[in-house]
Parts: sequence; structure tokens; C-alpha cells
Amino acid sequence: MASEDLFQHEFSEEQDLELGQVMETEAVEQVEADEPTEVIEDSEENPPKEAATEKATDKPVTNGEKTSPEHEAKMTQLPMARIRNIMKLDPDMQVANNEAVFAVTRAVELFVASLARESYTYTVQSKKKTIQKRDVEMAISAVDSLLFLDGAMNF
Amino acid sequence: MVERIEDLNLPNTVIARLIKESLPDSANVSKEARAAIARAASVFAIFVTSSSTALAHKQNHKTITAKDILQTLAELDFESFVPSLTQDLEAYRKMVKDKKESKANKKEASTNDNANASEAVVEEATE
Repeated sequence: MASEDLFQHEFSEEQDLELGQVMETEAVEQVEADEPTEVIEDSEENPPKEAATEKATDKPVTNGEKTSPEHEAKMTQLPMARIRNIMKLDPDMQVANNEAVFAVTRAVELFVASLARESYTYTVQSKKKTIQKRDVEMAISAVDSLLFLDGAMNF
Repeated sequence: MVERIEDLNLPNTVIARLIKESLPDSANVSKEARAAIARAASVFAIFVTSSSTALAHKQNHKTITAKDILQTLAELDFESFVPSLTQDLEAYRKMVKDKKESKANKKEASTNDNANASEAVVEEATE
């Protein structure tokens, strides 16, 4: 356990450096190459969402005034504060409103689910039940819209 | 601002749960695969942010809005996320609005409560 933690920290440091680079280059590319490529994402159903909205609807009634960060967190599974910090890594970003942070947080959740599903198709192809890193890598190289991850995933 | 570098990692337990929920019950995820997906998710967040920033700047906006995010996602070939995100955003806006209203109501209610409470005390006393 201890050694694993150490590793993760090392990685994350590298990761953030790389992330910075990726960000800059991607931003430039994105402006230049706006033409849409192929859509490969499977149709998205979205199981976590239902639970999230349910919680959200019964929350406001019971909630006190001082718990606003937790309150908002109930509509997302990932912490919005964390996503906001990641967004702030972009040196060009000046302000993002709460709705934008919420949208990114939910988008990341949908992204995790769709990448997991995409990866799992490769797991199934090799007649296994446990997703391996290899499956994730294959999913990333097979899907056009995941090209941005190229070079950011070597660790 | 970010004080520790770990503050930028997405929480493992939540990532694990999100993955589990998207797969059949029989499926499992290796630690390495989970880490790879978590990392991809962080990169995705930055990717979407920088693209939205570019979009907002092009339109001379300083503040990134949910609309910028949705438009960016569509441009980046993640338009499949847009319908469900649009719904979520409506729910979110409603929640924020309800929260404001319930705060306002609470202020009124608490003054009423005080009045009721003193009445109750009076009643008890008369018994």
C-alpha cells in the first residue's frame, strides 16, 4: 500500500507537467482543426444520473444553510471543487461559473463511464472479465475522439 | 489555489464506483486499468476546459459558462453527452434556485417559529 501511494504521487507530478503541455498544444490544435471527425461513442445511457437527481430533489428540503459545498456535491459523484482546481490549471482560464464547473464534472463522469464501457468491449473480446490497462489503451487508440489522450497516458 | 499535488487527482473510490456502475455486474477492473481511466478523466477535464476557454475568448467572453462547455463537447465529438448534460443542468439550476428560496423561507419560518414557541410555552404554563 505505502509503496503504491508513493508511486501515485510521483506519477501525478509528472502527469501535471504533461497535462500542461497537452493542454497548450491541444488548445491550439482545436482552434485550427474544428472540422468534426467521426462519432464513435456508443449511445449514452446514464445510470448514475438518476440516482444523482433523486438525491438532489429531496435535498433542498432538509438542508441547512452552511452545507452548500456538500449540497452541490450531491448532484455529482465527483467533487466539484476538485474539478474546479483541475480547470484552474489552464493558465488562460480566468473565470468559470458554477454551472460550467458542474457541466464539466458531469461530463467527466459520463466520460469515465463511456471509456470503461469502450474498454470492456476489448476485455470481452479476449474472453476475460477484468478490464486490464491494455484494454483501456486499445479503446483509446481505437476511438477518434480519444486522440487527445495520445501521449498523456504513458506512465 | 492548489496546495498539494494530490488535490488534482480524482478520488479513486468515486472513479471505481463510476466504472462499476457503467459495466455489467460480472465485470471487474484491475488497479492499473482504473488508474489509467482516472488519468484519462483528468486529462479530459483539462482538454474540455482549454477548448472552452479558447471558445469563450473567441467570443470575447471572460467567464466560461455551461453553454461554452456544451458547445465545446459537441465540437470535440462528445455530442452524445450533451442531451443528458442539458437535463442535468436544468436539475442543477432548479436545485440552486430552490436552495435560494428555501433559505429565504427559512428566515421567515424562523421568525414564525419563535412566535409559535412562545405561544406553546404560554399554553403549557396555563395547563
